[in-house]
Amino acid sequence: MAPTPAMSHSSAFLLPSSSSAAPAGSADPAYALVVLNQRLPRFAPLLWERGKCSPADRFFAALLSSLLAVLGMCFSLPTPFSLCLSLAAQVRVCADGGANRVFDGMPELLPGQDPDVVRARYKPDVIKGDMDSVRPEVMEYYSNLGTKIVDESHDQDTTDLHKCVAFVIDNSPILDKSNLCILAIGALGGRFDHEMGNINVLHLFPNSRIILLSDDCLIFLLPRTHTHNIHIERSIEGPHCGLIPIGAPSTSTTTTGLRWNLDNTSMSFGRLISTCNIVEAENVTVISDSDLIWTISLRHHP
Amino acid sequence: MLWRTIRSMEAMVHSSTFLLPKLHQAANTPAKNYALVVLNQNLPRFMPRLWTHAKLRICADGGANRIFDEMFQMTNEQDHESTRNRYIPEIIEGDMDSIRPEVKKFYSSQGSKISDKSHNQETTDLHKCISRIHRSTPDHEKTNLCVLVTGALGGRFDHEAANINVLYLFSDMRIVLLSDDCLIRLLPKTHKHEIYIESSVEGPHCGIFPVGAPSGSTTTTGLKWNLSEAEMRFGSMISTSNIVQAEKVTVKSDADLLWTISLRNLT
Repeated sequence: MAPTPAMSHSSAFLLPSSSSAAPAGSADPAYALVVLNQRLPRFAPLLWERGKCSPADRFFAALLSSLLAVLGMCFSLPTPFSLCLSLAAQVRVCADGGANRVFDGMPELLPGQDPDVVRARYKPDVIKGDMDSVRPEVMEYYSNLGTKIVDESHDQDTTDLHKCVAFVIDNSPILDKSNLCILAIGALGGRFDHEMGNINVLHLFPNSRIILLSDDCLIFLLPRTHTHNIHIERSIEGPHCGLIPIGAPSTSTTTTGLRWNLDNTSMSFGRLISTCNIVEAENVTVISDSDLIWTISLRHHP
Repeated sequence: MLWRTIRSMEAMVHSSTFLLPKLHQAANTPAKNYALVVLNQNLPRFMPRLWTHAKLRICADGGANRIFDEMFQMTNEQDHESTRNRYIPEIIEGDMDSIRPEVKKFYSSQGSKISDKSHNQETTDLHKCISRIHRSTPDHEKTNLCVLVTGALGGRFDHEAANINVLYLFSDMRIVLLSDDCLIRLLPKTHKHEIYIESSVEGPHCGIFPVGAPSGSTTTTGLKWNLSEAEMRFGSMISTSNIVQAEKVTVKSDADLLWTISLRNLT
């Protein structure tokens, strides 16, 4: 049997923005941020900065965009491709009422700064959804600042997160896709059917890196197709962690780096699941015959 | 599944009358005894009515801090002291690493039994509380007992998953996890389910999830998007953002399912 490929994970994006977000030996991920309609976590401004394109990326995107504008005049490029290029520099998406949360919440998280200055600095690149939650004055405010409004009819089959993830993936440049990491806030807590729908999005896009974050914890999928190396950033996460077989039991999971490691152990709801575990090493490894949800607590600094 | 097996499957009836200001006996359901378990998160705004309906109130460790600090703003009492004297849990159970010393001292002096389980680090506080109720409830009374739990959802995801697992581990008990936004129950595959909707306080948003294992066949009535022998699986279709459209929802499935419904008008 061929060995399963390895997949590395790191929460370095939660470190102060001067630090590189890349695990050792790999390229900096390209981050996209999706904001759903719940209270912002306290580290929202930090995540916002991660979703910003670097000046080099913007320059490259502008160059490519100009070249293709010229080609477009000759060969009339389809609109989504143009949008794709402009989105190389624009990766902060508010799902509908998430825009209210950014409008209200960012000045609250940065008191002592002028609210309008804060709002201009933390401006969504896109507001997407059926627009039944975003306040009209919020939509107008950001629209005037250049935010793209992507209005769509309500689709009962998918959550707001699903729509935003699909949108980000479809519109991210090919160069970024393999290194793309989607950070989503406001996906946990609140209505349980929304939370379950959002967790299902992780299962529906197993080839994409999607991390759901709250004030208390983060979660992401560990697909069964890979062996996982999870680098622990001890200054901002841990020690509490868990491995949860949501959706299907696991006959065999093996871990290293935890206080209570699993050794070819089976896990299922109704029997054992790994919760209230503790990370004890800088790296945790996980291999399983089933997709698992990894979760780790986030530290609350004063 | 054989038709005969489905027909002979016992029905389990659910209702949320405990959310109403006054309990009433819902049609087709036997009278219920309620127990309340309070975990260590912000109290839901309708906590006073749950407290009043319950015959047994257990605080899991730091849940006692929550009752001590937060009940006042939800009641019409004159002051904190009157509120505290009125809402005394019968039992405080857990590993006691979150309850504040002054809170423990107050409730102990008011007659609460302090059940220190700090030697047991293998199970969550909710597990300990449900275990105690399970041990002390005779089997024939279990069907008439409903355990209401607050503070089990949100917060740390591994805690939430462990709390949901408690529903599966004690599937012979009726346990309802409650938050400000919604409630969750387990619908065991051993029964067909009739869920009476109290539309003044719950709905319309609902969902059904095969959290433990996929379902090969689930059938419902009473929803906007009913399932008809449908497969459900994480990674494929699960029923979220559904809408209740009848006074009664029925569910039959070959898998254990979680039922959730949104709450409203509960100030």
